[in-house]
Amino acid sequence: MAAGTQVKNVEVRDIARIERIGAHSHIRGLGLDDSLEARAVSQGMVGQQMARRAAGVVLGMIKEGKIAGRAVLLAGPPGTGKTAIAMGISKSLGKDTPFTAMAGSEIYSLEMSKTEALTQAIRKSIGIRIKEETEIIEGEVVEIQVERPATGVGAKVGKLTLKTTEMETVYDLGTKMIDALTKEKVQSGDVITIDKATGKISRIGRSFTRARDYDATGPQTRFVQCPEGELQKRKEVVHTVSIHEIDVINSRTHGFLALFSGDTGEIKPEVREQINTKIAEWREEGKAEISPGVLFIDEVHMLDIECFSFLNRALEDEMAPVVIMATNRGITNIRGTNYTSPHGIPIDLLDRMIIISTSQYRESELREILKIRCEEEDCELSDDALTVLTRIAMETSLRYAIQLITLAGLVSRRRKSNEVEIEDVKKVYSLFLDEGRSTQILSEYQDQYLYDQKPDVGGSGEPMDL
Amino acid sequence: MAEEYNLDTNIVLRRAWKRGKNLSKKSQWEIEVGDPEPDTLSLEAIGLKENSNTPYIIKRITSTALEWRIRNLSYPIEVYSVLADPDNKCIIVKTSNKKYYKKITVPDLERVNLVPDQKRIEYTYKFGTLIITYKKPPEVLKLERQVLEELQNVQTIKDGDLPCKPS
Repeated sequence: MAAGTQVKNVEVRDIARIERIGAHSHIRGLGLDDSLEARAVSQGMVGQQMARRAAGVVLGMIKEGKIAGRAVLLAGPPGTGKTAIAMGISKSLGKDTPFTAMAGSEIYSLEMSKTEALTQAIRKSIGIRIKEETEIIEGEVVEIQVERPATGVGAKVGKLTLKTTEMETVYDLGTKMIDALTKEKVQSGDVITIDKATGKISRIGRSFTRARDYDATGPQTRFVQCPEGELQKRKEVVHTVSIHEIDVINSRTHGFLALFSGDTGEIKPEVREQINTKIAEWREEGKAEISPGVLFIDEVHMLDIECFSFLNRALEDEMAPVVIMATNRGITNIRGTNYTSPHGIPIDLLDRMIIISTSQYRESELREILKIRCEEEDCELSDDALTVLTRIAMETSLRYAIQLITLAGLVSRRRKSNEVEIEDVKKVYSLFLDEGRSTQILSEYQDQYLYDQKPDVGGSGEPMDL
Repeated sequence: MAEEYNLDTNIVLRRAWKRGKNLSKKSQWEIEVGDPEPDTLSLEAIGLKENSNTPYIIKRITSTALEWRIRNLSYPIEVYSVLADPDNKCIIVKTSNKKYYKKITVPDLERVNLVPDQKRIEYTYKFGTLIITYKKPPEVLKLERQVLEELQNVQTIKDGDLPCKPS
C-alpha cells in the first residue's frame, strides 16, 4: 500500500563544508570602489564610511610598499568595527603581504621578555620575496609501473612514463618518488608537475582525454588539457617568507622545528644582526625583495610604558612594518605609570600616529550587519525577528545581538522550523542575560553572593553589613 | 664560463657555464658544448631519473658547422623533421609519432644577433643517432676567429704553476 510506505525525508548534509564561523569571518575586504569611496554594504562591511575610506588610503600606502614604519590607530567605542576594519585591510592585501594580528596582552609571557615578543611580532610582519628559476617536469601520466621485491624488503624500483602532446619520456623511479606518487594517489591520466630540484609532485588535474571515465572520478575532479611542447620547462617562482621565519631557522638552539611547535623562545640579537646584513646583501644582489607588511595590535592599551617607548624606537627602523593599533579606551591610565593619556597611549607615540575613529552604528546599519551575520551562520530570520533583534542591538550591544542569532537559530531548529520567529528571539532574550541586565541583577541581589562588596566601598575586604 | 680547446685544431671541445646562483640551491655547471655531465645524483636525491634509453642531446662545434647529435633515437629518418623557428630563436626537432620533441636554442647565433635559417640546416640519421648540422654563417666564423686570436695571447699555465700562492 502506498500509505504504508511513507518516504522518510533523509536529511542530507554537506559534509565538505565543515568550517567554523568566527566573529569576523564574514569580512572579505574593505568594501571600497575603485576611487576608494566606501560602498554602503559591500564585502561584509556596513557603515563606518569615513573610517573605511581612511583605511582605504592606508591600504594604498601599504600596497605601494615604499612607506614603512607608519602607525595607524583605530579608536572607537566597543563593537564599532575596529577589528573588522583591520581584518578588511588584511583580506584586501591578499596572501603575499604578511599580516600579523596580535592582542596587546599577548606580549606578557614568562618565556620571553615583552620587547622580545614585540620584536618577533614586528619581524613576522616583514616579508621577503625570493625569486627563483626552477626546472619542472610537466606532463600527463601514461603509465606507472612499480616492482616490489618478492621478499618484502629492499628498495622498490619503478618506471614512470610521462607525455605531452608532442613527446613521451620514460623515467626511472627511486623509493622516494614511488612513495610520493602513492601518497598523492597519482594514476595514469593525471596531469602532474614535478619540481626537479626538490622532487615535489603536484597534481594539476585529469587529462581531458580521460574525461569519459566519468564514473570513476569524484565531483571535484578538474579536467585539464594535456601539456604542450617539451616535458621539462623552466619556470620562475616567487616565495614569500617572513624575517621571523628566517630568524627561527637560523637560531641554532631551536632549528626549524620550532616553527611548528611555536616554541621559539628568545632569539639572540647577534643572530638577528647577521640576518639583517644577509638580507641587505640579497637585496643588493637582486635576489630578494623586501615587502613590509602589517602588524595589527588589538587592545593596544594593554601595552605598558616600556612597550610604547620600544615601539617609538622600532617604528623609526627602515625595515619596520606598518603598525595598526586598535583601542576602545578613552582618556585613561597608561599602563605602568600613574599618568593618564588619551587612549592610554603616551602623547609622543600618539603624535607619530594617524588616528582613524569609528562611531556608533545607526539602526539601519545594525540591521544590515545582523542580516549579514545571519547569512554567515546559516540562519533564516523573519523580518519581525530581525526588527526585534535590531532593537536589542540598539539597546544593549551589537555583540549580544549577534550572540542571540546562533542561539535563536538553535531554538527554532528545536521546534523544527527553518525560520527564526519573534518567539525564538524572545525566548533566548529571556534565557540569556546581557551585560546590562546582569549588572542590574547583581546590584539587586548582591548581598546573596559570596564576598560581595558595594562598588563604592572597595579595598576594605570586610563584608559590609547592610 | 670555462672552455676547453683542442690545441691542434683550435676547436672548442667543451664550454660550460656556472648557472643557477640561487638562495636555496648551489650553482651548477651547465654544459653548452661537449658531453653532458652524467646525472648520478638525482635518483637518490629526489627518486627520479630519466631512463637510460631516453634520447639525449650533445652539441659539438666543428670548423665549418654547429652540430647536434641526439642519441638513443630508434625511429626511421622519415619520422623526424627539423625546423628553424626564427621567432623563438631556436631549432625545433619533431617526430611525427609524437615520441620526441626538442627546442634547441642556438647561443652561437644569438651572440651575433642572428636567427636560425632553415636553408643552413641538414640532418642525417645513423646508428640510432640523429645528427643535425648547421652551417656556420660568416658572422659566427668571424667572431670565433676574433675570440681565438684573443685566446692565443693568453699565457698558458703549466701544471703545478698556480696563479696564486697557496698558503
